[in-house]
Amino acid sequence: MQRITVFSVVLLSAILAGCQWQPKKVDFSTQIKPLINKNCITCHGGVKRNSNFSLLFHQDALDTAESGSPAIIPGDPDHSEMIRRLSLEDPEERMPFKKERLTKAEISLLRQWIKEGANWGDHWAYVPPVAIEIPEGEKVSGFSSDNTSAKNGIDYFIHKKLKEENLEPSSSASPAMLARRVYLDLIGMPPTMGQLDSYLNDKSPDAYDHLVDTLLASPRFGEKWASWWLDMARYSDTKGYERDVYRNIWRYRDWVIKAFNEDKPFDRFTIEQLAGDLLVNPSDDQMIATAFHRNTMNNDEGGTEDEEFRVAAVIDRVNTTMEVWQSTTMACVQCHSHPYDPFRHEDYYKLMAFFNDTRDEDTHGEHPKLRIYREDDEKKLESIREWVKNLSGEGKAEEVNRLLKTIEPKYHPHDFDSFINGELIDTKFLGIRNGGSARLKNIDLTGKAYLLINHSTKARNGSFEIRTDQLSGEVIASGRLDTTKGWSRTVMSIALKPTSGKHDLYFVFHNIKAKGENPVSDIEWFAFREDFFKGDANLDNEFITLLNKEVDNTPIMIENPPRQHRTTAVFERGNWLVKSAKVSPSVPKSLNPFPDGAPLNRLGLAQWLVASSNPLTSRTVVNRVWEQFFGAGLVETLEDFGTQGSVPSHPELLDWLSLRLMNDHHWSLKKLMKDIVISSTYRQDSKIDKEKLEKDPANKWLSRGARVRLSAEQVRDQALAVSGLLSNKMYGPGVMPYQPDGVWQSVYSAAKWQKSIGEDQFRRAVYTFQKRTSPYPSMITFDGSSREVCQVRRIRTNTPLQSLVTLNDPVYQEASIALAKRMLKSGKLLDDQIRTGYQLALLEDVSSRKLDALRNLYNEAINSYAENKKLKESLNKEGSIEEAAMTIVAAAILNLDETLTKS
Amino acid sequence: MKDWNENLKAVSRRHFLFESAAGIGAAALGTLLGSCSTKRSALEIAIDPMAPRSPHFPGKAKSVIYLHMAGAPSQLELFDFKPELQKLHDKPCPPSLLEGKRFAFIRGTPKMLGPQAKFQQHGDSGAWISDNLPHLSTLSDEISFLKCVSTDQFNHSPAQLLVHCGSPRLGRPSMGSWVTYGLGTENNNLPGFVVLTSGGKTPDAGKSVWGSGFLPSVYQGVQCRSEGEPVLYLNDANGVNRDLKKKMIDAINTVNQAQYEESGDPETLTRIHQYELAYRMQISVPKVMNINDEPDYIHQLYGTVPGTSSFANNCLLARKMVEQGVRFVQLFDWGWDTHGTDADGALDIGLRNKCREVDRATSALLLDLKQRGLLDQTLVVWGGEFGRTPMQENRENKLNPFFGRDHHTEAFTIWMAGGGIKKGVTYGETDEIGYYPVNGKVSLHDVQATILNRLGFDHEKLTYQYQGRPFRLTDVEGKVINEIII
Repeated sequence: MQRITVFSVVLLSAILAGCQWQPKKVDFSTQIKPLINKNCITCHGGVKRNSNFSLLFHQDALDTAESGSPAIIPGDPDHSEMIRRLSLEDPEERMPFKKERLTKAEISLLRQWIKEGANWGDHWAYVPPVAIEIPEGEKVSGFSSDNTSAKNGIDYFIHKKLKEENLEPSSSASPAMLARRVYLDLIGMPPTMGQLDSYLNDKSPDAYDHLVDTLLASPRFGEKWASWWLDMARYSDTKGYERDVYRNIWRYRDWVIKAFNEDKPFDRFTIEQLAGDLLVNPSDDQMIATAFHRNTMNNDEGGTEDEEFRVAAVIDRVNTTMEVWQSTTMACVQCHSHPYDPFRHEDYYKLMAFFNDTRDEDTHGEHPKLRIYREDDEKKLESIREWVKNLSGEGKAEEVNRLLKTIEPKYHPHDFDSFINGELIDTKFLGIRNGGSARLKNIDLTGKAYLLINHSTKARNGSFEIRTDQLSGEVIASGRLDTTKGWSRTVMSIALKPTSGKHDLYFVFHNIKAKGENPVSDIEWFAFREDFFKGDANLDNEFITLLNKEVDNTPIMIENPPRQHRTTAVFERGNWLVKSAKVSPSVPKSLNPFPDGAPLNRLGLAQWLVASSNPLTSRTVVNRVWEQFFGAGLVETLEDFGTQGSVPSHPELLDWLSLRLMNDHHWSLKKLMKDIVISSTYRQDSKIDKEKLEKDPANKWLSRGARVRLSAEQVRDQALAVSGLLSNKMYGPGVMPYQPDGVWQSVYSAAKWQKSIGEDQFRRAVYTFQKRTSPYPSMITFDGSSREVCQVRRIRTNTPLQSLVTLNDPVYQEASIALAKRMLKSGKLLDDQIRTGYQLALLEDVSSRKLDALRNLYNEAINSYAENKKLKESLNKEGSIEEAAMTIVAAAILNLDETLTKS
Repeated sequence: MKDWNENLKAVSRRHFLFESAAGIGAAALGTLLGSCSTKRSALEIAIDPMAPRSPHFPGKAKSVIYLHMAGAPSQLELFDFKPELQKLHDKPCPPSLLEGKRFAFIRGTPKMLGPQAKFQQHGDSGAWISDNLPHLSTLSDEISFLKCVSTDQFNHSPAQLLVHCGSPRLGRPSMGSWVTYGLGTENNNLPGFVVLTSGGKTPDAGKSVWGSGFLPSVYQGVQCRSEGEPVLYLNDANGVNRDLKKKMIDAINTVNQAQYEESGDPETLTRIHQYELAYRMQISVPKVMNINDEPDYIHQLYGTVPGTSSFANNCLLARKMVEQGVRFVQLFDWGWDTHGTDADGALDIGLRNKCREVDRATSALLLDLKQRGLLDQTLVVWGGEFGRTPMQENRENKLNPFFGRDHHTEAFTIWMAGGGIKKGVTYGETDEIGYYPVNGKVSLHDVQATILNRLGFDHEKLTYQYQGRPFRLTDVEGKVINEIII
């Protein structure tokens, strides 16, 4: 290290830090950037550049300012305007302008920094992690009751910090406490008593190891971790906004559960969700994975312009992608350069260009959707595909396949203009009246032989024709519009006169019988296709029949074909109506370079995110997984790794785990989790003594095990599991467990909460129907997400409304009744019965003091019910007083702080 | 606000609790049935994020009642009198008003539509109010009218979000959440931010308009209902009465106290406290939601009928709530979307009916607050999410069957009264057909800044650090409307 002139402040801090007599150079990231962020950046940053001086990027800071000279001259603080202005007495000239002046020490620090060359340092999060040696040198002890040493690398890093903080680790948690903890963490539910017993009875040295492996292999594992991911994916069973009607997208939720269960490596997990459609011959599952970004909201409100909300969805995709994979907030870069972090205004739109070229356009029908055929129809599709492949090659076969599986590419009513005697019905469907017309501009007809039209009409004898280039132009197609029944729609195929080149198409509609102002038909979409079948009427028929099949479907992402390509432009101050310079897809310069040879589309972007040179992805996922186990991330601000976010508590551990995840575990999250739960750090007792509370109230240094309230999902799942009501049924559409009446009152929607029957009432919370504008009330009370936008961190609260849920919600009463029955069956003696109830929930023996309190409650309940028969009958008509009283005790057990807490 | 912000996180709460953790359980238990003390210890503040807090400067208003007419009432039939528009009635709209404009439903060239109500000036202030609002007309001298509120959202759901959350997109906290985050509540036995809906539907933007966005969920609005349980899960479960419930909570908290002594986690003490609060809430909420015991003259004043669900009942409930120290009472009345597609949406039928439903009750609310000396400290706000066009709507380019107007963003009327608001002021003037502002144009962020200002907040300083930056209700805009404040 270079020896430098020693300034008092630097010297002082060096002494205070207990360093040797070798003063450190000023560190930009930890010493200068915070000063700049606090005092300068508001006026000299990414939003404002007063006097043409900005401190956001190194180059800007050294550039010539408005005064004609640079404000910072590296090596020369005496002639740097910045230092002069900070030191002035005159408040009119002194910086920060009209704010409290900087302290002498702060100014000295800035002087020193300039003197040393005004070097820019990179913020930790933007520098890729480098290999770190585990600090194994010292003996690590005290982590467990037998004083054995650390279990793995995690413990060495934790221990090193503990020593620095003068804290001792705690001894191991009791086997029962540890089992409950690891069950809750890995599969989201406590063990049954049988499961606990088999663990306790396993006397082999790697009993715990076996337990962990069993849990990681459990199908319940995927359900627990899906809940975690679905908040980020903003998964919901409705579309959002005013009408907020049903969205059939549960297959995506199931895809996530399966992906966790099969431990799909996180890089594949990423690529399939962001760009599954762009993989070679994508499977249905890979297409369904792309529904990740179809979880954006869709606005069906009458009078909304689809383009406005399509853009809103694309913006949400940019923000969500950067938040989920990069812990980076891009939302502010929509309107101007990032105020604090190294992202320029254009960066936003260059990223947006990756997402801005997909087929989805905020249509009511939520196109494009993957059509999921029944098995026999899937076979027919396959044979059609084969036939076309043999005749015309793979390219055409893929076109046919895409049309049948997704009906893309197609055109929507909002693509029309020049309406005469007609309009969009409810701003959604094309509705042209008798003699009226509408124009579809600039359509390339080369090679197109048929028009596909999806419509619905009750009026007989409707017809239409298509004329090219003007209303009186040549007729290239005409056809009758079949009538349809009820709400059903039909897809018709109309032959086109062979035409080449691009044309404006005028659709003219006729039906003298269409009454009054009724349109001839209401049309949802159009598509043009080639003559795939070369006159084979049977195949053509089969093709149309398949298109008309009522099938289940899931919204997916599909890239625009070249002829529907959409360009992206910068929005001035974020306003989508005011577009300026055109941009093409690229990634922010401040991060890793785009991978060589990667395509410039979503697939390339996904590859860039999971490239080993990306500094943020693996740290982000490690940090969030860590938070699930310990209640707080190694970086507390899970959502923000920027310069305004928290600094990592254990930067070396974060980097070590991130590299291990990528290089040793090849992105296996199960292996990462195993590292965590195997560590002695994880296995510590969670008891808090006075010293630990004083020195480390938030358990930042992890001198004890985690103690946090259960998540909304865990609270429900645990109550159902402990009482024996829980159904293990997996997958399928969202279910509707009990919800109080009158909660759903959405406008323009007849949708009702239809209580599920049978075991569907008792499914895990991950399967509960999610409605954005009216979330399941008890979940939201326990800090669940309303799933409107991406949420990466739930802030835990502790409120009286939560107590009301677990005390009064009939769901919990049903659980109490069932738990009471189990308790009564478990033994003859009252104390044994209560002991069992407590054990079912907490897996430990109840202390005599707690037993006294619960027994006392039982006796009081017996007295109450003996005096008040009616009260008892309102709980159970047939059951005994004892059963009713035990229900009260069971309810109390489900409401205990320790029951609601992972410890 | 930063320190406070930190307090919310369990981190500092734990730290804080440690200081005087000993004995808290007993103390908290002692308050179970005791009265609510007005002064809280720092400890209680730390465990209770809803404890009262001082704003940036002494506010003129202590609480807010926001009356939102969901669907957007027509200013041209209520407050913005345009005789010139009558002269243009049925004439085609000049192209200059249509060029470059986006409308929700108007297509092609619509016709102009004269006012569908009779107007008169009222009171010393001479405010124009139509015959749709005969009761409110008598109170014109209590009110400040903003005639040129503008928005940039012409669809209901995003426009309502902008009114209440400061952004047309989802994910931001609502005004009531910001206020309770900033001020806490004076009555812990009731939610600090209450929502009451009428008209049979929740507003178009759903519960998001009273959500807490990125603020801790403790600040979200609590919907109180006239039918069913007043607050979800408030009623005791089957087979549990008050006495047994108290025994349950005592048992739970005894076990929790033992647990605290074993594990030493201060969060356990917080939970003990929350269970006590829940018990008290179960008593106080039904009490405040019960209007049966109000005297006859009050029922006559408001037009309330106990046991039903109506805007009038909600107005009376709002008064009872602020009387009990609730900070923010948000009323939504659905059914004001007068497009003219049916009789309910006709300016001369549906709108008149809606006015009849709210006029008496709104006026009664102002009078009742005034007679109790509460109006001076309660800010009452009335408005929709946008205005209505001077043109008659011609949805799908054909004449609608009834007189109706499309959504209009340029200028509409919001009024305020009470806490710190001038009396009898009209601010802002639209052009002679009520299309564009001529002077006194204000934005919804200005309205929000003004509401926060009346409560004692600098809207630029009431912030919450999220995603690396301080967020606020007014986004990056907002100016206090000095012309209407005292």
